[in-house]
Amino acid sequence: MSRVRRNTDSNKKIWIIIFVIFSVFCIIFFAARGRFTAPLGERVAITVLAPLQNIVSKIGNEIHYATAGIWEVVTVYKQNQMLKSEVEQLRDLNLQSNELASENERLRALLGYKDSAKQFDLVTAEVVSRDSATWTDMIIINRGTNDGVKKDMAVITPQGLVGNVAEAYGSYAKVQLLLDPRSAVGTIVQRPESRVAGIVEGNPGDKTLARMVNIPKDADVVEGDQVVTSGFGGIYPKGIAVGKVQRIENDEGGLLKYALLKPAVDFQRIEEVAVIVNSREALPLPITQPDVKPAAGAAK
Amino acid sequence: MKYCLIWGLVLAGGYVLQTAFLPLINFYGIGVDVLLLLTVSFGLLNGQRLGGLFGFMAGLLQDLASGTFLGTNTLSKMLIGYVFGLASQRVFKEKFFLPIMSAIVATFLNYFILAVLMLLLGYRFNFLQHLQMAFLPTIIYNSVAAFPVHLFVCWLCDKMKEK
Repeated sequence: MSRVRRNTDSNKKIWIIIFVIFSVFCIIFFAARGRFTAPLGERVAITVLAPLQNIVSKIGNEIHYATAGIWEVVTVYKQNQMLKSEVEQLRDLNLQSNELASENERLRALLGYKDSAKQFDLVTAEVVSRDSATWTDMIIINRGTNDGVKKDMAVITPQGLVGNVAEAYGSYAKVQLLLDPRSAVGTIVQRPESRVAGIVEGNPGDKTLARMVNIPKDADVVEGDQVVTSGFGGIYPKGIAVGKVQRIENDEGGLLKYALLKPAVDFQRIEEVAVIVNSREALPLPITQPDVKPAAGAAK
Repeated sequence: MKYCLIWGLVLAGGYVLQTAFLPLINFYGIGVDVLLLLTVSFGLLNGQRLGGLFGFMAGLLQDLASGTFLGTNTLSKMLIGYVFGLASQRVFKEKFFLPIMSAIVATFLNYFILAVLMLLLGYRFNFLQHLQMAFLPTIIYNSVAAFPVHLFVCWLCDKMKEK
């Protein structure tokens, strides 16, 4: 009798496990297609955890700076020698850059450009946390809707594009990095002879490189090309540095190729970012169908 | 209820540590998966049912807080908690190598489940390259952190049993 009962219990347990696994499977696939979200759960998790992450992150950074300081003292002689030679190199570079800066100044005045940074209203934020154990790449920053940060705003550093705001809460926001496989950024090759457009997305196979896809096989893209945002799509303003082409590989289909980019931003050492809360740059007009008038003869 | 609250706090603390402090020693964005190690140790000490439940909660917390695909870590950690819970009657819990070997097996299982889910979701990646870039560093980090985490979970379980 007890054996029968044990068997029934065991069957019941197996059915419960199968039901739970199936339910979670459904949630994963519906959530990945945007048909299922848990905004309340996410909001509660962020509201409770983000302040703690903020405190722990600050303590961690203090410890990091202290240990880095001690290490610098230990290696000060070697650094001094290196810095001396670097000063010499920088003097040469400075001469060259002064020349370029004055040329740049003249060209800017000629074209009537304003200083590039003035076209954006920026809100600076500190990175509070980053979860490395997932296959996606998101960070939490300590600015949210209270600071004017909204969903889909572009996030940058002086080096280039970081990503976009995926979700904004009161004092915190989730930022989807350029390296996240779900991100897609409209880009263009900066070289004047090329200007090839493509989409840069995260590369799930390699967290250090992004991938510029949908490039025709005969397109003029070479290693070392700088890639910047194209401004299409309305999220990212035009001209923000995205990365540099490291190598080019053929797509499986054979008609297209893709470029692997070394991101302009060092995502390993990302501590502070700026959110573009307002861009005065006019976004490109949507593509419209040209008016095709029928030929005079054809109308008759 | 009190135990649930304590283990909830442990999970939250583990997640905060994993995301806000340990990234300082990350290797190209890869670091210790504290929640996975907690799940493994908890499963080994408390059996399949509680192990699965703990893994479910740990994964759900990670999914909600990190903004990744909802449910992926919930599923992988729940299964891992359950599987290691099944082994709870068959192992010597005080052995030094138990948490380390368990961490290696759990990291592999977690990687395998998440890789299959990513493929099912339509994301393609170079398996060998990813193995080298993400899996190997994670194995090393998790093996190093496994023993202290296991000691902590053992200590907390003992304290709760005393009470």
